Amino acid sequence: MSRAPLVFAAGIFYPGGEHITGWRAPGSEPHAYLDLDYYARFAQTAEAGRFATLFLADELYVWDRFRSGIDHGVNVRLEPFTLLSALSQMTSRIGLAATVSTTYNEPYHVARKLASLDHISGGRAAWNLVTSASDEEARNFGRDAHLEHGLRYRRGAEFVDVVNGLWDGWEDDAFLFDKASGYYADRSKLHVLDHRGDHFAVRGPLNIPRPVQGHPPLFQAGASEAGRDLAGRTADAVFTLGGGSLETSQGLYDDYKRRAVAAGRTADDLRVLPWFSPIIGDTQAEAEERFRELADLTPDRVQIDLLSHYLGADLGDRDLDEPFTFEFDLDGFNQSKSGYQSIAALLAQRPYTIRELAWEVLRRRFTVGTPDVLAAHLVERYEKGAADGFILMAPTLPDTLVRFVQDIVPRLTDAGVYPREYAGDTLRENLGLARPAGRYAA
Amino acid sequence: MTRRLLLGAFLFHPGGSHVSGWRHASAEPHRHVDIEYYARFAQTAERGVFDTIFLADGLYFWDRFPSGVDHYGQTRLEPLTLLSALAARTSRIGLAATVSTTYNEPYHVARAIASLDHISRGRAAWNLVTSRYDEEARNFGGDDHLDHSLRYERGAEFVDVVHQLWDSWADDAILADRESGLFADAGGLAVADHRGAHFTVRGPLNVSRPPQGYPVLFQAGGSDAGQELAAATADAVFARPLPLADAQAFYAGLKARVLAHGRAADDVAILPSLRPVVAETAQDARALAAEILASTPDALIVEDVAHSIGQTLSANPDALIIPAPDTDIANESRSPNRRLARLRSGERLTARDLYAESFWESVTVGSPGAIADDVQERFESGAADGFVVQALTQPLGFEAFVDLVVPELQRRGLTRTAYEETTLRQRLGLERPARRVPEPVTT
Repeated sequence: MSRAPLVFAAGIFYPGGEHITGWRAPGSEPHAYLDLDYYARFAQTAEAGRFATLFLADELYVWDRFRSGIDHGVNVRLEPFTLLSALSQMTSRIGLAATVSTTYNEPYHVARKLASLDHISGGRAAWNLVTSASDEEARNFGRDAHLEHGLRYRRGAEFVDVVNGLWDGWEDDAFLFDKASGYYADRSKLHVLDHRGDHFAVRGPLNIPRPVQGHPPLFQAGASEAGRDLAGRTADAVFTLGGGSLETSQGLYDDYKRRAVAAGRTADDLRVLPWFSPIIGDTQAEAEERFRELADLTPDRVQIDLLSHYLGADLGDRDLDEPFTFEFDLDGFNQSKSGYQSIAALLAQRPYTIRELAWEVLRRRFTVGTPDVLAAHLVERYEKGAADGFILMAPTLPDTLVRFVQDIVPRLTDAGVYPREYAGDTLRENLGLARPAGRYAA
Repeated sequence: MTRRLLLGAFLFHPGGSHVSGWRHASAEPHRHVDIEYYARFAQTAERGVFDTIFLADGLYFWDRFPSGVDHYGQTRLEPLTLLSALAARTSRIGLAATVSTTYNEPYHVARAIASLDHISRGRAAWNLVTSRYDEEARNFGGDDHLDHSLRYERGAEFVDVVHQLWDSWADDAILADRESGLFADAGGLAVADHRGAHFTVRGPLNVSRPPQGYPVLFQAGGSDAGQELAAATADAVFARPLPLADAQAFYAGLKARVLAHGRAADDVAILPSLRPVVAETAQDARALAAEILASTPDALIVEDVAHSIGQTLSANPDALIIPAPDTDIANESRSPNRRLARLRSGERLTARDLYAESFWESVTVGSPGAIADDVQERFESGAADGFVVQALTQPLGFEAFVDLVVPELQRRGLTRTAYEETTLRQRLGLERPARRVPEPVTT
């Protein structure tokens, strides 16, 4: 069997692009960030580029830990399910992936919304499981601090199990709609879940038929040990850190695939999609210049406060140009462990000042180059077993996505790694994934 | 200003408000999760210049009795996802989603409704319910639902928290100034830091203030606690269908409560349910209604009555009912239970009698003129500010109302022939509420 074709997800968190102050870049539309038409153009551009799916990253709070976050960051955006449902009516082929926190949601609501979106969109819904990593989110949901890392993931695993069980409650052919006999449903094809676990007690049944896709695809991005393990067992696709060397990416790719196989699945059951955040120029020099411009749009204060956020410490009183020292305590750290670790790894290589470190952290988020260089990078990663596809996190919008579809997508098609048409009608088909049978199916 | 009749287009069971409406010859049950089916409903409502779509909801599948699974077309799309999709398919009509305050978190709800309000440019509304069935509790980690008074206490605090979250950002807080690099004015951001009996929510909300300030709040509780909460906070109340005199008494009582809360009577629109069965002639309408009633499977009749009076019954719908002496269903709904009262008074009744009687009492059957007469009388005699139209069958029953009754209402000048205002609040004649924050935020 030939390998499934390369796939792309079009990611968005900050409406102006992945970079926190990307909204300041030329061509941005910062007054349109709550305007449906802005997102419709984003979705339609991605669809013109045959992206498998949109991907809405999400968090459940305003980043006001530091004043600079309010001043300079974009802290308002539309809620993923409402936005994706509206976009389902303005697109026809692209997938619609919503981020869902398993820590601050109830599986019944989530199973229902995803099933509903899947029916509304004709089989294009997906979800991205996150466990939420910051205390700010906890405080919006009745807690003082977020759950301990291991507990969050155990709850997340049980959440997935409950959601899948609810979806399977109605067999695919449970509904009869027989006007003559008066039988709407076949009772023998309804299964009451009656789940009682450590974190959830959910009886069911769900009040909506089984989703078009059976189980809308499950995305994850967990990079910690617990996160990778959950992805290996349950995810259909995983978003991984990109940007590193080919060897690092291959190692990560193999690690996820190994975990899927260890969980009794095949390597192909889990698509590995590294993060790809391109800065595109006609020449390498122009691309580098665009990166510098973007970096210059980021006030020092924002860069330092971002670093403080990643490290869970306030670095505000440090001298930006003194050598930076920090006591790392991975076990005691309860936010995103992978981001924390990558900074520790940088400092282990050589000394940095805060200013240099902030710059380096920023620089490493992006892949900078010409369309030829960037396309070659993507093809190499795909062909050499480092990626099944990529999640495009455009640093600025709408320009980066437009440019990517215009200049990079045709190069990938010409290289023979990217399809000229959508493979199917549902997201599962476009990801090359089979539709799962229900747990009760005969 | 001339008072105008308000109209809401109701949907709960996709096949219509009669439990077996899906069996009607015109029904399309195989399309009950097809968005085109709902787009047609919404566009029909917009053609009739309805003020809003109103999606009722429950957080469970009613399988307490086998007939619920066998005969009852109760699977449906989730309201917020459905309305968001319909926002993209319509341009003027309001979009009201039912929200349980018992099984939701205010942060999620404030955010989703604000988002829908932005997406639809000021057309979002929510219908507060407190959820009353054990089946719902069991889908959310509990065995029994909350005590009635506690539910309403929680509901009231829920509304308060949602309003505080909607006020997180001043209307002019978003600067989006490329030059200075300031995206927002920190002075225009308020942290709610709410700590109450039921919720601890810090805020701020990560969505700008909704176009309507506060999207419209509907409520439907008929109990004392429900009416009090509505009088204190609601913009519109969805009321049960009642005989004219009872409807007038309910209307007057609720408006008095509204005044007692220091609000104007017009601040809360009272919209009873209207279940129309319309045809060109009274005779045809009566025959159509009888046909719809007759489509109800016997098992559904028996189990509907059994459920409402809280006791099991024989499978024969024509058997006389002997009421059990010790049923207590007060925690499910405090709205008056007339079936039980009549049985306890010693009347000799069968399940079919009770079912048919409720059916005929709840419906308004007749020619377009006769239905318009009834609507007009109630509107002009202090029984209603408008109606939430619950067609018994979909799509035909609702389309018949829009095609036959609405033109008659328009001809009489009770409703309009075109939309004028932009937002749902404006259409209901309500002011956009000013932002309320505890004290100016200084930084």
